Amino acid sequence: MYGRRATQLVKEFASAEKGQLTAFNSDQFEQVIAECSQHHLELQSLIRKMQEEGLDVQTTRNADHYGALIHHLSLVRNKRCLMAYMYNRAEIIRSLLWKIGPVLPLEIEEKLCHLEEEYFKKHSTALKSYMSKLELDLTVDMVPPKDPYIQVRVLDDIGEGIVLSDDKTANFARHSMHFLKRTDAEQFISRGLMEELTG
Amino acid sequence: MDSGSLPMDDYESLISTTDVELLKTAWRNEKAAPEILRYEIDLIQRIRGQIQLMEETVDEFSAGGTDPLTVSLYQMDLDRTQFLLRSYLRIRIQKIEKYMFHIAKTDELWNRLSKEEKTFARRKGISSFNNDLSQHLEESVLSKLPENYQSIQKQSVISEEDDMVPEPQLETFVVCRSKEYLTGIQLEDGPVDDRSKLFEMERGVLYFICYKSIKALVESGKIDLL
Repeated sequence: MYGRRATQLVKEFASAEKGQLTAFNSDQFEQVIAECSQHHLELQSLIRKMQEEGLDVQTTRNADHYGALIHHLSLVRNKRCLMAYMYNRAEIIRSLLWKIGPVLPLEIEEKLCHLEEEYFKKHSTALKSYMSKLELDLTVDMVPPKDPYIQVRVLDDIGEGIVLSDDKTANFARHSMHFLKRTDAEQFISRGLMEELTG
Repeated sequence: MDSGSLPMDDYESLISTTDVELLKTAWRNEKAAPEILRYEIDLIQRIRGQIQLMEETVDEFSAGGTDPLTVSLYQMDLDRTQFLLRSYLRIRIQKIEKYMFHIAKTDELWNRLSKEEKTFARRKGISSFNNDLSQHLEESVLSKLPENYQSIQKQSVISEEDDMVPEPQLETFVVCRSKEYLTGIQLEDGPVDDRSKLFEMERGVLYFICYKSIKALVESGKIDLL
């Protein structure tokens, strides 16, 4: 059936958990693209046939006209599905930039196709230049602050001599606990290097 | 001075017109509105100035050995304002990312962006977009399709309108509160017979209403979204 593969592609995206990416289905994707070219070929050959029969392509309403119309509509449908697939994936990819930051962990990066990786990088650059024009880092302060200071535990060796915003340095050895400014700690938390201790 | 005996209303209106309160309102509106609103250029400029001032005060206090509790209260106030500002700009930029093409092709929306936001969305000419998202879609899908189907705005060459551009859903419901008594609001939803009836809004009462019906009033600042 025409358009089925494209629908499957969109369904596959839609059935994934919200905000989560499934691996880029390049097989299916390429097949739909190929289907599009096939539709186009058949569309053209039907129109050619009508022209050879000396019919006016604009006004004739015969079997060939409706055949061509079906191919046209299938093509448009495929295009919409492909675009929806890419567009919605791109939206999740952008949200990753906010949630995780400009460096993606391997298990997520694997799910992107090559062009999506490019897009992620380009978008991250665009966002960075926007923020530098503003002279404001928008990636911190993701949740409303309750207290300017929070208690954190270091989960991984981050190293010594990290300069905090108050010009003091700290030694973030693994499993050590610190009382830090929220804005200082946030970048480490989002990278999974620290966790906030609550209660 | 009789400032201590101000009637409650005056006091409230005085409090509600500080820049931080205005920012809070702008932030709430932006957060609740499905489409992008006008960039509050003057307000943001003032807020940024105030943040700088507050930062200097906090620095001075902590250097001058002021009571740590006082410093931390100032710091908390500063953090809250910073959060509002960042969140405001973040919500905007995310809306711009999402409806990039729709905003770029609609002059009215485009002019609501700040200078920096415009650079971010990079519009070159009205009809040809040039930004990372359009490039991405171009390379991954459009360039592989047959010639007549490569437009990013139209489904195919025979489409008369731009039927490929994702637009925000304006027929969504929002919670809002009016600042004054409003009358003559045309409802855009509900049964057709009801639409000719005009809707009234009392000052300060909460309403749950279709965004499209009050869009103009939100833009003119008569209604706040929550």
